[in-house]
Amino acid sequence: MEQALEKLFEVVEDPYKAVAGWKESTKGKVVGCFPMHIPEEIIHASGMLPVVLWRGNEPVTEGHAHVPPFNCGLTRSFVDDGVRGKLNFIDGMIFYRTCLQAGGLPFIIDRNVKPSFLEFLYLPANFPGAGTRDFIIYELGRFKSLMEEKSGQSINEESLNRSIEIYNKNRALLRKINDIRRNRPGSITPREMLAIVQSSMLMPKEKHNELLESLLPELEKREASSDGGKKVIIAGSLCQTPRLDILDLIDNLGMVVVDDDMYVGSRYFANDAEEGINPLESLATRYQQKSPPCPTKGEWELDWSDYLNDMVKKNQAAGVISLLIKFCPPHLCYYPDVKNRLADLGVPHVMLEVEHEAVTLEQSRTRLQSFLEMIGGV
Amino acid sequence: MAQEYKLDRLETTKHIGPMVDKHWEELRTAKQRGEKVAWCSGPMFIFPYAMGMKCHFMAGYAAYCGGRRAADQVLEVAEAEGDLPDTCSYHKLHMGMATAVKKGIPIKEDVILPIPDLMIIGRLCTEMAHYAEGLYRRMGIPISAIDCPPPRRKEDYAEIGKFVEKQVREELIPTLERLTGTPFKSDRMSEILAVLKKAATLRNECWEFFKQIPSPWTLWDYGVSIAPVFYLMGKPETIPYYEKLKAELAERSAQGRAAIIPEEKYRIYWDGWLPWAFLGIFSRKFTSCGAVPLVGRYPWEFFPHPEAIDPNADPIHNYIQLWYNPEIAPKHSAEMAVPFIGEVVEDYSLDGLIMFTSKSCRIWSMGHADMIDIIDKKYGVPGVIIDADMVDSKMVSEAQIDTRMQALFETIDARRSARRR
Ligand code: SF4
Ligand code: SF4
Repeated sequence: MEQALEKLFEVVEDPYKAVAGWKESTKGKVVGCFPMHIPEEIIHASGMLPVVLWRGNEPVTEGHAHVPPFNCGLTRSFVDDGVRGKLNFIDGMIFYRTCLQAGGLPFIIDRNVKPSFLEFLYLPANFPGAGTRDFIIYELGRFKSLMEEKSGQSINEESLNRSIEIYNKNRALLRKINDIRRNRPGSITPREMLAIVQSSMLMPKEKHNELLESLLPELEKREASSDGGKKVIIAGSLCQTPRLDILDLIDNLGMVVVDDDMYVGSRYFANDAEEGINPLESLATRYQQKSPPCPTKGEWELDWSDYLNDMVKKNQAAGVISLLIKFCPPHLCYYPDVKNRLADLGVPHVMLEVEHEAVTLEQSRTRLQSFLEMIGGV
Repeated sequence: MAQEYKLDRLETTKHIGPMVDKHWEELRTAKQRGEKVAWCSGPMFIFPYAMGMKCHFMAGYAAYCGGRRAADQVLEVAEAEGDLPDTCSYHKLHMGMATAVKKGIPIKEDVILPIPDLMIIGRLCTEMAHYAEGLYRRMGIPISAIDCPPPRRKEDYAEIGKFVEKQVREELIPTLERLTGTPFKSDRMSEILAVLKKAATLRNECWEFFKQIPSPWTLWDYGVSIAPVFYLMGKPETIPYYEKLKAELAERSAQGRAAIIPEEKYRIYWDGWLPWAFLGIFSRKFTSCGAVPLVGRYPWEFFPHPEAIDPNADPIHNYIQLWYNPEIAPKHSAEMAVPFIGEVVEDYSLDGLIMFTSKSCRIWSMGHADMIDIIDKKYGVPGVIIDADMVDSKMVSEAQIDTRMQALFETIDARRSARRR
């Protein structure tokens, strides 16, 4: 494995150690952002390290006393990590109304985890009208002032624009890597792509950019796989890293993931923020992008299924595998329409319901095998 | 021998049925009269009402469907269409009903509603948006969307209130004007507010009787009387209803007549939705133990401060302030709810808390366990969580309800005897 890639794997294999290590060595402050749409650039410009909060890799134990069992894996695992003291190295935490469950987290975290600071952004769903845009900009301005206060470092247009440039560069590098995966199917495994994207959420972007710059030419040397596996797209897994055993299962069954529509995937790097303009306006515009269509944002005219269909066509993929997080309401509400519309569009599709806790993969294997048969892969 | 308890029912609540039926009948037949129909969620339904539209309210339908024992049937249609079991039951109910209409699948006739001309999202809850978006995708129904974030801290209310008001003025009102072809009827909105003010003032006077020991009525009685301050808002008949209710409560109170006979044993706080489809089941369980539910965060949501309604003020601003003035607004977020629960525990002399968690809706459930802990530590009042659902019978286990209620009553008993020692 390429050296740079090894380093990225180290980060995602133990994010607790990696982030705490950064804090220890720099004496800097870490700010955890609840997925999926908090503009990290503002935290970056304050000199603190923004990280995207993650789903832990252990079964929920003490968290049960605080969060209902019929919540998604991320919210349960995050509360569990918090109450067990596993997140004590995180100085500040930022939430917004991703969904009902995420909106309810600050109360529990404030009381039981007590980070040095906790802020809630009232970022509205992406509804039409000047009022919404004005309020987004107001909230971003409030967020900027809060980060200045917490970091003790002022943020000016120049520093925020600089952060936007660094983030855009990171997104551009990630897009280039994704292009390699798309153009040379099988050259990058789903696990590798996940590590490449998730590590970006956990380390300073400057450092990540360096590693990607050294990794890129190495990846360009990789060839497409010659197995002729069926090309597929993975979609869903809303705020969460998908389960690795499921990715491996897809891989082992001989399907080749050529692209994805996941947050810890192409959604994270799909859109840049415009450079050289008022940075809050620029971040507001990025937040308001309608594409990729996000089930947690209020958007109805742009259809997620059409977006997936385009992705399938662009990649000449054979079908879509939806990963639906158990108890994730925004996806639950949208999923039936995606299923029906993809069927109407003639796009083969399978859904796997994914839980946080380890469960037998037999059901997923059976579903994936029938899907593979459907797309003519067996 | 164990004590036998009975419910001494109110007379006035019998009169609510015809008022509610009339509302739904008028809604069902609206299209035949050429009236426009909106389906609403959150606090926005007053605006289409002011425009003379017929308006259906998301949660109101769930209560109605539950009351008509049609919920399971409608949910089945949704699930057959592909809606997944863990989805919000209110969402599924609407998807099921709309699908039944679209595909001609037979469901109880009185729960069939006209497909609306407009979906109005008042996004108090994120899923209130998802259900409208789903109906847009399935049936192409246009949407007018207003984000209504529940504030977490007192200092957040003012700015959010301005934001909500701005959206109403720039998005919702022009949409309604286009749809109806008439300018916004500000005077009509003021009239609705004036009626609401009177009805909610009387309702608050009725609430006072919950403070009496024993209480002459139960939260369930208020639950069935909620429509006058909710989707029957502005109807003149809502005032005599509450006048009658108040008079009956005053009379009972003077006679020392309690809701539970022969004695009221436990006074209970109820958090979360009222279990619309299972009110009878819960009522029987409460009664059999001599328990009476009295106060709740959700039923206290509907205009708890009618004194702040000013029919002479700008109605849009006045109405939004009812939701976004921190002193008088409903307590949606857990952060704002804890002090509210603390207050009512004292004001209503409560013995225990039941946190009713709906498995398909997470709006109240986040933080329930911590709230119980806070209130117990501060006031010595214990609580339990019951997880079930407001309409979906598949998610309701009577055995769990019994066990949890029993656990609560035993804890209350144990503390009482400890205090006596
Ligand atoms: S994964 Fe779904 S349920 Fe969980 S926090 Fe994200 S949007 Fe909410
Ligand atoms: S999730 Fe709960 S609050 Fe939201 S729409 Fe459904 S029932 Fe209402």
